[in-house]
Amino acid sequence: MPQADVKGGLAFVINSAQASIDLIDVATRQRVRRIPVLREPHHMALTPDHRSLVIGDTGANELLFLDPLTGELQRRVPVSDPYQFGYSPDGKWLVVNGLLRNQVDIYDAASMRLSSRVPIASMPSHENFSPDSKIVYVTLQSANSIAAIDVGSGNIIWKAVVGPVPAGVLWHRGKLLVGVMGADYVAVVDPATGRVERRVHTGKGAHVLFVPHDGAAIYVTNRVDGSIVGLDPETLAETRRFHIPGGPDDMDFAPDGKIWVTLRWEHSVAVVNPETGAFETLQTGRSPHGIWLNTHDTLPAPVKVSTR
Amino acid sequence: MLNTLDSAAGWVQENALVPMLWQFGLIQWEEVSQGWAVFAIYGAVQVLATYAICVPLEMWRPVERWPDVRAVATDMIYTLISRVGILPLVTFVLFYQVQVELTGFVVDHGWVQPTLERFAPVLLGHPLLVFCLYAVILDFSDYWRHRLSHAYGWWWALHSLHHAQRQMTFWSDDRNHILDDIIAALWFGTVATLIGVPPLQFPILVLVLRFLESLSHANARVWFGWLGERLLVSPRFHRAHHGVLGAGCRSANYGAILPIWDIMFGTADFSREFVPTGDPTGSEALASGGYFEQQWAGVRRFAGALAPHRQSSRMTAGSNPR
Repeated sequence: MPQADVKGGLAFVINSAQASIDLIDVATRQRVRRIPVLREPHHMALTPDHRSLVIGDTGANELLFLDPLTGELQRRVPVSDPYQFGYSPDGKWLVVNGLLRNQVDIYDAASMRLSSRVPIASMPSHENFSPDSKIVYVTLQSANSIAAIDVGSGNIIWKAVVGPVPAGVLWHRGKLLVGVMGADYVAVVDPATGRVERRVHTGKGAHVLFVPHDGAAIYVTNRVDGSIVGLDPETLAETRRFHIPGGPDDMDFAPDGKIWVTLRWEHSVAVVNPETGAFETLQTGRSPHGIWLNTHDTLPAPVKVSTR
Repeated sequence: MLNTLDSAAGWVQENALVPMLWQFGLIQWEEVSQGWAVFAIYGAVQVLATYAICVPLEMWRPVERWPDVRAVATDMIYTLISRVGILPLVTFVLFYQVQVELTGFVVDHGWVQPTLERFAPVLLGHPLLVFCLYAVILDFSDYWRHRLSHAYGWWWALHSLHHAQRQMTFWSDDRNHILDDIIAALWFGTVATLIGVPPLQFPILVLVLRFLESLSHANARVWFGWLGERLLVSPRFHRAHHGVLGAGCRSANYGAILPIWDIMFGTADFSREFVPTGDPTGSEALASGGYFEQQWAGVRRFAGALAPHRQSSRMTAGSNPR
């Protein structure tokens, strides 16, 4: 397979309703390739050793391992209903949420052996780990809850109601920040008990939270409101707000500081200037969901775990 | 054009469906509603395109002319329900969930769903070719579903609603009993799950296939020539299937898109010209009743077919006039 001829790195955009992945040249904003997959991909994660970008093809029940530099397919691994997934910070575990099968599967990342399956109701959606990799926090969209699961044993430590249809979850300075999509706020949750300590109103359909390279803000997408809100990482006060219609969802950050965000219902990616709020849109396939730019120079150090 | 349709579906999703789902506490289903929006928009365009093409055809070379077309109006309701209404939503939600459960189950047991692309990896970069192969498999499967629906008394009792129309037009394609639709959806869903059909990957091609099915019901004196008739189901070919003498188990031309299955299995009949349509064995309500009258008449005929006095659920050859 020829290597993509790109100038400024690649953006990987998952077209969830078109069974494909668009590779976009970050510098020229032109699509350089479209990689067909089998059915319905949604999210992706970089392996701990940074050698593979893993795409979850939810509808096809498989993970695709791609070369993160070129998009070349390395291998495919059958996995049940891989919707959201992520590697623990220490690189030992891969936790896969089966949104429609109501299960959380915990794999040994190196061998891809299933360590434990946690049946959990219902609609396990997004996830994040404690910094020590011992606990994974999973939002349960149809149970209005978040669950803390012991990664080693697969036992549920606690489960707590946080608000209607919780989505993205972010570990932030000893707290969990949870986007509550069925309402209009981010819940600040005590990771020890699941108790909601505070609600930060951002907009209807508060969904996922992302932190740029410099850590200077926390960005929240509000899918129903059609906006992106920047929060002060210290106080969680709103510092900026961009009106971005089209169902803004996942995002990543380019070296020039611009925000690349998928617009699920406009079938495009918006490239937003965080200083001015001005943005341009790039056409993608139908319902773009996950997005990742391979331009990062501030990634965590690779963890030496083989992912054969 | 595709971008425009996708944008229209996105607009419906963003401005109508999502605010409604959010308001009623159902926002977790927004991905499913997005699928439905795409189906509905493409379905609406398909209805409009079919209308734009078939109406002139039917005016230009009609097989029959009728002074009263109220029976056709009922068929329009079927079409709207089927293509842009409730049915795609139900089918999509149920089919999606069943597929997730079934395929997840088989993957858990170490068996990967046998998609064509896995069987022949060379197909992976050729989605159009893959779709065409899937379309052929599904058309073959549908030939047998349709043929069996004429072979069993209880099934024919339901399917006869489709055949009762004496004023057959392009609107008649979706004129089905709801139970017959459910059976067809289960049939399609089972086969589609087994071979892993991607429902939303190729909406424009689905649109073309559905157009061909509508066209085959058109009240138009249209045929595709000797060779064309053997490659693609034409209005003439399919009209023979709907002929008054072909109702029930002794019909012919069961294919929906490709006549090859009828040729292979000995049910093709290219000899009939543009015959009158209808089912003389059915009640008048099935032919000219309103939507609910037709559905109720279908239920009654279905119950009658299941009644104990019936010797066999399998219809014997010649039990219907030919």
